[in-house]
Amino acid sequence: MGYRFDWNVVFQNMPILLSGLWVTLTVTLVALAMGLVIGTIFGVMRVSRNLVLQKIAAAYVSVFRNTPALVQLIWVYYCLPLFLGLDLNSITSCTIALGFGAGAYTAEIIRGGIQGVDRGQSEAAATIGLSRFETMRRIILPQALRKMIAPLVNEVVSLVKYSSLVSILGVQDLTYIAQLLATTTFRPIELYTFLGIEYYIICTALAFLADRIEVALAKRD
Amino acid sequence: MSPKVQIKALRKSFGAHTVLHDVDLDVGEREVVVIIGASGSGKTTLLRCINLLEVPNSGSIYVDGEPMGEEVRGAFRPLGDRRLQERRAQIGMVFQRFNLFPHKTALENVTLGPIVSRKMPRAQAEKLGMSLLERVGLAEKRDAYPAHLSGGQQQRVAIARSLAMEPQLMLFDEPTSALDPELVGEVLDTMRQLATDGMTMIIVTHEMAFAREVADRVVYIDQGQILEQGPPSEIFQNPKHERTQSFLRRTLRETANLLPGPVAKAAARN
Repeated sequence: MGYRFDWNVVFQNMPILLSGLWVTLTVTLVALAMGLVIGTIFGVMRVSRNLVLQKIAAAYVSVFRNTPALVQLIWVYYCLPLFLGLDLNSITSCTIALGFGAGAYTAEIIRGGIQGVDRGQSEAAATIGLSRFETMRRIILPQALRKMIAPLVNEVVSLVKYSSLVSILGVQDLTYIAQLLATTTFRPIELYTFLGIEYYIICTALAFLADRIEVALAKRD
Repeated sequence: MSPKVQIKALRKSFGAHTVLHDVDLDVGEREVVVIIGASGSGKTTLLRCINLLEVPNSGSIYVDGEPMGEEVRGAFRPLGDRRLQERRAQIGMVFQRFNLFPHKTALENVTLGPIVSRKMPRAQAEKLGMSLLERVGLAEKRDAYPAHLSGGQQQRVAIARSLAMEPQLMLFDEPTSALDPELVGEVLDTMRQLATDGMTMIIVTHEMAFAREVADRVVYIDQGQILEQGPPSEIFQNPKHERTQSFLRRTLRETANLLPGPVAKAAARN
């Protein structure tokens, strides 16, 4: 093997490499928050009695689930300003694109969670005079949420990794910086290995956090 | 005085299968009506049509003299969401599978209706809730989640949850069918107490001894039609219809020794 590893490139550039962490986390968490809000709205619309709402939500999910995240990113960055006259910087448009993508997956998770709650629950709620809205808010969603924790963790973890796509639009996240250093130092193997470790740690930490939440919720049953 | 519940020409089908054929039934104020019949006879569907958990195809349903919907070109159309919600709030229902809210404590299950739907202040709702849990003998379980209660306890909490709405009418859909035999008694005791207190009750059950003791009237339903009805003494001792006789023979076989009368004796002989 002719290659000689030189990990110094990683250690010497540690502060720069880690400087992208904040961007990666911000993009991921904001997109996640957007995804949860959008996903809840569209997920509830998916199980609505109103056919128009149902179809709108289904169309949204179908578009965002069946096109590559990269295309969505580029579309929001280049096309949205053209159509809406909005001038968005790259980090904002990337976050929006990722948020809408996450919203589509979350909507499906929420729909599944809602449909997994026994029908007797909404019947019982109806007999004590709860409206459909109150039933959804107080009875169905809290129960659906527990069934959704595991798939939501999957979604968060893949969102962290998808966020690396924003580097393509020049957003200086972990991936962008590793890429930049790799081209200037000619040490891609070391730098990308380290990049992998960074993502691994973030995702593992998030999964651990989610585990604790699940345990805390399960204590009550 | 108009009857508490008035059902006329009620028809319900699931696809091609007709479950109820033009059923008429009146239930008076403070009356306890027990509906009996084989499984699949339509008795549960009939009960669920009263508060429109099941929407009939045609016919009419009046509760307290007020319609639960109207017939439009021969098809039953329920009241609008808001009106229906108000009407349902006055009709208690107890389910076979309890349907307690698993993420809420016993007390929270009972107070949810008063707080959300009757807009009662929390403190007052909790006072009411505790008095109802006491009434069903479960005051000490106020903070227990349903998963930590026995089936009989869950069903008693479910009864308290219904009573918290101060309903004018209570529907019971096979309230003891999902219970272990040793837990049936506590639920029946609670129901017996309600009947004594003058609640109007419509009960679907397989507990014939209970029906005989508590019912003012027994309704036998067969293949989606009311075949026979009358006071329990009459239905259990002198059923007129051959199908009623054979149903009672089949059902009473196990409990034959509990019941006097010719049917029970006949059952015991078999």
